Amino acid sequence: MKRTPAFPILPAFPLLFASLLWALPAGAQDAPTGEAAEAAPAVDETESETAAEGEAVPAAEKVAFKEVAPTLTVIAPDNGSGLHLKLDWTITTAADNKIAVVRSAKSPNGPWTIAKTGLSPDKLTYTDKVTDDVSKNPPADHYWYRVVVLPKDFKVTKEITGDAIVAAAIRSVAGEGDTVAHWFKNIPGIWLLLALIVSVTGMIFFFTHQVRQGNEIKIRRIPGIDAIEEGIGRATEMGRPVLYVPGIDSLEDIQTIASMLILGEVSKTIAEYQTDVIVSCCVPIVREVADEVVKSGYYRAGHPDAFDPTSVRFIASDQFAFCAGTNGIMHRQKPATNIYLGRFFAESLILAETGYVNQSIQIAGTAEATQLPFFIAACDYTLIGEELFAVSAYLSQDARLVSSLKASDWVKIATVGLLVIGTVTVSLGFNFIPPLFQLAGG
Amino acid sequence: MRTTLPLIITFIVGVFMLGEFFIPHWYYQHIKTLVLEFGTVIAGVAFLLGVINLTQVNLPRVLERQPDWIYKAIMLGSMVVTTFFGFWEAGPRMEDGMVYKWLFDFLLVPLNATMFSLLAFYIASAAFRAFRARNAEATVLLVAACIVMLARVPIGEQIPVIGSYLSVFQNWLMDVPNVAARRAIFVGAALGAIATGVRIILGIERSHLGSD
Repeated sequence: MKRTPAFPILPAFPLLFASLLWALPAGAQDAPTGEAAEAAPAVDETESETAAEGEAVPAAEKVAFKEVAPTLTVIAPDNGSGLHLKLDWTITTAADNKIAVVRSAKSPNGPWTIAKTGLSPDKLTYTDKVTDDVSKNPPADHYWYRVVVLPKDFKVTKEITGDAIVAAAIRSVAGEGDTVAHWFKNIPGIWLLLALIVSVTGMIFFFTHQVRQGNEIKIRRIPGIDAIEEGIGRATEMGRPVLYVPGIDSLEDIQTIASMLILGEVSKTIAEYQTDVIVSCCVPIVREVADEVVKSGYYRAGHPDAFDPTSVRFIASDQFAFCAGTNGIMHRQKPATNIYLGRFFAESLILAETGYVNQSIQIAGTAEATQLPFFIAACDYTLIGEELFAVSAYLSQDARLVSSLKASDWVKIATVGLLVIGTVTVSLGFNFIPPLFQLAGG
Repeated sequence: MRTTLPLIITFIVGVFMLGEFFIPHWYYQHIKTLVLEFGTVIAGVAFLLGVINLTQVNLPRVLERQPDWIYKAIMLGSMVVTTFFGFWEAGPRMEDGMVYKWLFDFLLVPLNATMFSLLAFYIASAAFRAFRARNAEATVLLVAACIVMLARVPIGEQIPVIGSYLSVFQNWLMDVPNVAARRAIFVGAALGAIATGVRIILGIERSHLGSD
């Protein structure tokens, strides 16, 4: 067996850095790209007879007014979904008037739909979501807007229509704009994320190829993972079950998914040892998946008949009810080994301390930073953060899974390098790295 | 086919859901929302399966009078009563005077509070073990914990000489070493999560499918 070279030619690294170089100029763009349709500030000032400015506004406030021509610009945000339009306006009004925004998808003269009411006069911008239900009311290509100043005694009720608001306006300003829906979020952070995913994927294939050619990938020992098999062995010797808790979050969470993958390997080992397992679940869908996973673990171990369908239990979907139920299992069935792998919250310490009182061997793992101190204090072994995601590969020793560990380690090195470069460059006054780590905005 | 079809579905759905981060278009996001709603429906059905599982696990033990059967009987009884009043009182079940609301306010909430309050005692016992100065690392932990705890209670400021500096030390401990360690955990966990996601989407990780 050959060892992999210390600095292999990593196929995905050039991708990572090429994309960084590509992304940098985009990050330097401070001004909007102007892709969005920008309406000409079509001003439509409608003065109501009842609201001559000089009469309605106290003298002191009149002084505060800066008389400017009312304008309204309507632009689609960069990298937008096509559901939002950003409105910026200038319009003078008294401090106690309220401003409303109405929109029409039909024509510049309505019919009007209320977009927003109750805006204060000092508010000069608003981002409008043109529709709340795209299945019934898909967004139009073009919208007309009016920002209207309402009399101070005007009450906006549920029955009020957009047309009524326009009719009651003291003054208003009109504008229009196109919605623009983008098929790619073109910001540096997204390019970096894409580069990370492509890099990890490329390196998994690269290292898998290396392993198949006879190179060995060395993984450092992780005592917490080694202890899982020891714990199962201990449970076998003591004739007591192993308790497995896959956290309390739903199946969408990556930690719960990782926990299910680990459960596959753990249940296989448990089946080989002919020991009992109790899987205590807080979420029904997690229980269903755990049931299949444990069943397949017993099947792979060659003991499908040993699987007990009541070993995978739904306890309760409420956090503390689940905690009480699981503590009850610990007190009554005295499991020799407790394995807590997944996403935990406030119940982590209650579970772990109960296990400690029962003198069980306890192995915990979570990427939830707030709960790690509790597990470290109360458990014998704790898998911290990324170690949780390495367990299934470590236990299975499958070449492709182990390759993924190596791949994520190399990407981690690149990320740390980027962080160091970012720290240095920001300290020197160059701010081109921080936008790479922003996924929002545009 | 038993593993190929799930792998194909996983790949398609995984890549599609990953696209959420890259494709802001409203139509794509709308389809994504629909897919998530499918998930919600499946999770709702799984609740029914959860109730069936609870009954399958606990009812035979009650009928056979196994040890501690009384707890299981109480649990099953509570489930039946709560479910009954939940359906019986339907829409206004959380209004004053309703049995369902009474069960919620005077049984579930106090029981939850009781479980949560246990945490205070468990924190004390766990802290006692964690803060024993067995070695250099544990001693650093003990000192740091004492500084943070003292700085966060009013009596800390009254300590002569060091009292006024405690909050400065505490802020530094929380803002510098603590944040640095947490961010290191976050970065590592995020990359681990990406690698796990890629493994599952590409079908490299398949221990959950039972194929070897």
